[in-house]
Amino acid sequence: MRHASFIARTVLVKNGGVDEAMALLNNVMSRDGFFEQFRRTRFYEKPFEMRRRVNYTKCRAIYNEEMSRRLAFLMRTNRTDPYPGSS
Amino acid sequence: MLRRLTLPIRAIVESAFSEKFLPNVSGCSPNSGVRIITQSFASAGLHTSSVRQLGRHDRGGEGRYKPKEMTAGGENSSILEIRTSRIDDRFPDLQLPTRVFNGIMFKDLPIVNVKASMNNTIMTVTDVAGAVSLIRACGYDGFKNARKGTNVAAQATAFTLGKKMVQRGFKTVRARVQGLGPGRLASLKGLTLAGVDVVSITDNTPVSWNPPRARKQRRL
Repeated sequence: MRHASFIARTVLVKNGGVDEAMALLNNVMSRDGFFEQFRRTRFYEKPFEMRRRVNYTKCRAIYNEEMSRRLAFLMRTNRTDPYPGSS
Repeated sequence: MLRRLTLPIRAIVESAFSEKFLPNVSGCSPNSGVRIITQSFASAGLHTSSVRQLGRHDRGGEGRYKPKEMTAGGENSSILEIRTSRIDDRFPDLQLPTRVFNGIMFKDLPIVNVKASMNNTIMTVTDVAGAVSLIRACGYDGFKNARKGTNVAAQATAFTLGKKMVQRGFKTVRARVQGLGPGRLASLKGLTLAGVDVVSITDNTPVSWNPPRARKQRRL
């Protein structure tokens, strides 16, 4: 199904602020993975390259998760909630 | 309940575009604003707190513990509506096609198509049906070869095009941008410098998730 043109991937410009509007659009699009997909499909990715990329991202994700877990463990606090009811 | 929710929502909406709260706004649906609100509610539930309560405790108690919400600022009026509406009016809604800009309905505004490739920037001005009335590319303005693919060239070309557009009466336009070249932003800047009012920016970059096999990798 096609998306409605000028509704999809559209940002309105406020007070001639083209920069901000474009930044917002780019921000949203890069978060949705449009740019990454665009970049990655310019050239054919051979199977070994895809394997390597996928494995690398997996390892990175595991490392990051583990590291954040360790940091959370080191930075943990052991005190009662100073503002009960507010969290 | 409403009072408890106000401040975190403000913080979230403010940081919405620098953090991960809104993963999917360009999901191309007209009611993305609705999604923003619902998501904010969901994540606001994690750390809701009353403004007054936090402020009082913070002043009275130890200085070390500063709740995150305090950084967002003070008032606890109807922030929800104000903030979300400010975010919403950046994105199109169902009324947009019939909204009037400078006396013309949005759906009848002329379109500036910008094709920003790596090596060139080509701009055309069309009406709604797609009939081209003006065309300009970086080569027209004396930029040749590799210099065509720069943002300076794109801005200069857009400026001359914009001047022509104003002469011809295309003063309020919507832009449709294609490609990730250096002219992506510069062309729109040039248009605004020339006095053209760009109402909206639409991205039309062809991105496929099941593309045909692309050409082989470059060997550098």
